[in-house]
Amino acid sequence: MEMDPLEVFEVEMPGEGYGAEKYREIIMDILQDLGLIRSIGRLYVYVDIEAPYFAVFGMIRGKLPPLKVEDVGDLVAAEGGYQITVEDEEHMAGLIRALWGAYGREKVEQPDRNVLVVLSEESPGGLVVADTETEFRRDLLDALVRIAPEGFRNRRNEMAKDNFFFLAAEETITPEIIAEAKEKLGGMRDA
Amino acid sequence: MLDPVMFTGGVYKHDLVTELIEDLGGYLLQKNVTQSEVILLMLVPHEDMPALEAMTKELKGKLERAPLAGTEIAVVTPTLAIHHLPHPACDVAEYIRRHGAKSNMIGMGRGVAREISQMDEFETALINEHDAVVFTFGNFADCILKKEHLYRTLTVPVIVTGGPEMKKEDLPYAFEYVKNVGRIAHRSRKATEIGSLDNIIAAVGRALDSVRASISKDPLTTTPPRAMEVVREQVPDVTQSLSPLPIALNLNGLRIKLPYEEYGEAVAGVEFDEGVTLGEIAKVMPSRMKNYILVRILPVSETGFVV
Repeated sequence: MEMDPLEVFEVEMPGEGYGAEKYREIIMDILQDLGLIRSIGRLYVYVDIEAPYFAVFGMIRGKLPPLKVEDVGDLVAAEGGYQITVEDEEHMAGLIRALWGAYGREKVEQPDRNVLVVLSEESPGGLVVADTETEFRRDLLDALVRIAPEGFRNRRNEMAKDNFFFLAAEETITPEIIAEAKEKLGGMRDA
Repeated sequence: MLDPVMFTGGVYKHDLVTELIEDLGGYLLQKNVTQSEVILLMLVPHEDMPALEAMTKELKGKLERAPLAGTEIAVVTPTLAIHHLPHPACDVAEYIRRHGAKSNMIGMGRGVAREISQMDEFETALINEHDAVVFTFGNFADCILKKEHLYRTLTVPVIVTGGPEMKKEDLPYAFEYVKNVGRIAHRSRKATEIGSLDNIIAAVGRALDSVRASISKDPLTTTPPRAMEVVREQVPDVTQSLSPLPIALNLNGLRIKLPYEEYGEAVAGVEFDEGVTLGEIAKVMPSRMKNYILVRILPVSETGFVV
């Protein structure tokens, strides 16, 4: 499903108008810090302060393709192998690790800070450098744990292919609480 | 009457200021040298302020009133986790520091959650060693109401900060409530946020005034700055302490940052010009903070004289 980044973002906290407004800011700040806003399409937050629990339902914008060698650097055929010139050094460590794993340390040379030479017949272009999808899921869970109020230490999360559900509560999480939270979030989505 | 002021200027010739303060009968509380700049926190006799102002002008420094100078304020957060720190607790602590107070940050061991939060005896006693305390709570009105038991047993004035608007009568154990602080995930920099920090400073100022008023009903045998001066002269090791503020002033005593076991007796034996020792006019005891020495000056009603 095509979605704009955070096209729907709703926070509902019955009886806590100020809290709802502030938590909107906190969620934006934290998602921005972790660079997740572009990956989330819709976000619904429901908090019942009487129970109390904190529930989030979100829809993820499309699957992120894994990062390959050809995506992180310029690949040219050189004498006896291939030369990779990396502009953005963010993925340098992952790139070297992937190349070492595939070809062995003796086949990978680094004549310059941002240049790697692989002694190989075949192109390393298709080699996976980083699994962005896994990284995204890890960051997302980190963000949710940071967002939920700290006293809510019992947590449950359900990660599906294109959506996620997160619940945090002070007391033990029972099937009834989960059902209630899902019903409230469902109501917000249908509205 | 001593005025608390903060001098900011170059290191070059700043000793002229410290000498002037000594000559006027004032006290130097803290000296911070940061590269080529120096910040001096001082108490100056009110009638001699023009002399200091003239000296500041000559040295091209800056002189500001530091209303909280000579006090120690605790800033308490429910835990030390990322949810409560660094924003806004560090902003509050830093802002209090800029107004001249010594602020200490305290993270409670079990301060989180509405139902299970609690404070133990040690934490209560540690906070009670300060002159006032600022509690930073969150954005839910319900939680702020239900966390009252955390500060109910404290004897120092409590400033509660949180997000929503609250009625004063709903928080009977708080000295004052400051709204619009709550949990945030960014640094306080907007005008409204800085305004809230100013409100905290004003509330802390009023809390300290109430403590001063109650002390003035039964005045202390000597003033804390004078006791500090005598300790500094007669226990010179204190100047070698690595703490940024080797002797912290409270409204009713001092905290000396030397180990109690080694220096407790020496501090109690410090003698005033009038012939009495500090041990006779004050309680010298171990502080809950590390192994420091806590001095609590006795009121006139207990000693029967003033030095």
